Amino acid sequence: MSESSRRDAALRGARELLPLSPGIFAWGLVTGVAMVKSGLSTLDATILSLLAYAGSAQLAAMPLIATLAPLWLVTLTAIIVNLRFVVYTALLRPHFTHLSAGRRLWLGYIVGDIMFVRFTTLLQQEPNHPHKVAYYTGGALANWVIWQVSSLIGIFAASAIPASWGLELAGTLALVALLVPLCRQWPALAGALAAAVVAVLAHALPLRLGLLCGVVVGIAVALLVDQQLRRRASSERAPS
Amino acid sequence: MTTDLFDTVDPYVWLAILGVTAATFITRSSLFVLGARVQFPPVVEAALRFAPACALAAIVAADLAFAEGQLRIDAGNHKLIAGCIGIVIFSLTRSIIGTIAGGMLAFWLLHFWLPMLA
Repeated sequence: MSESSRRDAALRGARELLPLSPGIFAWGLVTGVAMVKSGLSTLDATILSLLAYAGSAQLAAMPLIATLAPLWLVTLTAIIVNLRFVVYTALLRPHFTHLSAGRRLWLGYIVGDIMFVRFTTLLQQEPNHPHKVAYYTGGALANWVIWQVSSLIGIFAASAIPASWGLELAGTLALVALLVPLCRQWPALAGALAAAVVAVLAHALPLRLGLLCGVVVGIAVALLVDQQLRRRASSERAPS
Repeated sequence: MTTDLFDTVDPYVWLAILGVTAATFITRSSLFVLGARVQFPPVVEAALRFAPACALAAIVAADLAFAEGQLRIDAGNHKLIAGCIGIVIFSLTRSIIGTIAGGMLAFWLLHFWLPMLA
């Protein structure tokens, strides 16, 4: 009984991901095309997609790889763009602690933005779902398959598309779509603006270190604004 | 631009691929695998929350502000205009596909169609 209901939960996880699949598909396609248009060979782009499975980090690392930036900076950039997953996995962790370390390693690897939102929605509706791990695995695997298929189509279609079409811009536009919803609060918006300005002004720095300067200044500005807003909120609450 | 299947034997690119893959495991799996309960100080947690927005903004800005390697913050930079249109489209519609399609369309109109009119 447990085996079949676990399978049902996995299938449900995959099924409930399907309405979102056009978005995943378009994003994967764009990432595939943009990787090849930025200069990666078809083989390298395929390996990167299959191993890293991280659209935004792949797109962010591409301009650095194309200009032969140092490897530590490529890795660090990918880590910083992926830091949101540290926040996700901190919240998901309690639901997976009973599993083996190997299983947790692989469940962490398939964490994605969309499945994180789906899984948190399930937990809000059914906090004690007996097969939540199966639900998560089914949905996250479906996400992986849709992503890889669309990415591979993009990678292999890219060579048929002329360079003059400027399709690598589609990758930047995909990052824009990821960036805008992150800036809904004042601290993040201020930090993002500061990061953008500094990254552009410091562009002449060697090793593309301008990006790193932008990120550091941006985080500092965001923290400052956040602190100011908190202080003002607490002084308004406290009667003087 | 390389488009052939087996034309690269470039250890730099392979190491870069490994670096990005390592970044995936470090950010997604380390908290799952670490046994002990991890509690971040509030400042670290806030910094983690703001870091992706700052990183993406830096990358997007550095991509859009330059045309042919030159800093160009003006109407002649078609990528920059297309990116701004993308921001407007996403803010209004929340659609990823619409943002990519609208931004690309704007870029192509400026790039291919406008010169024909001139």
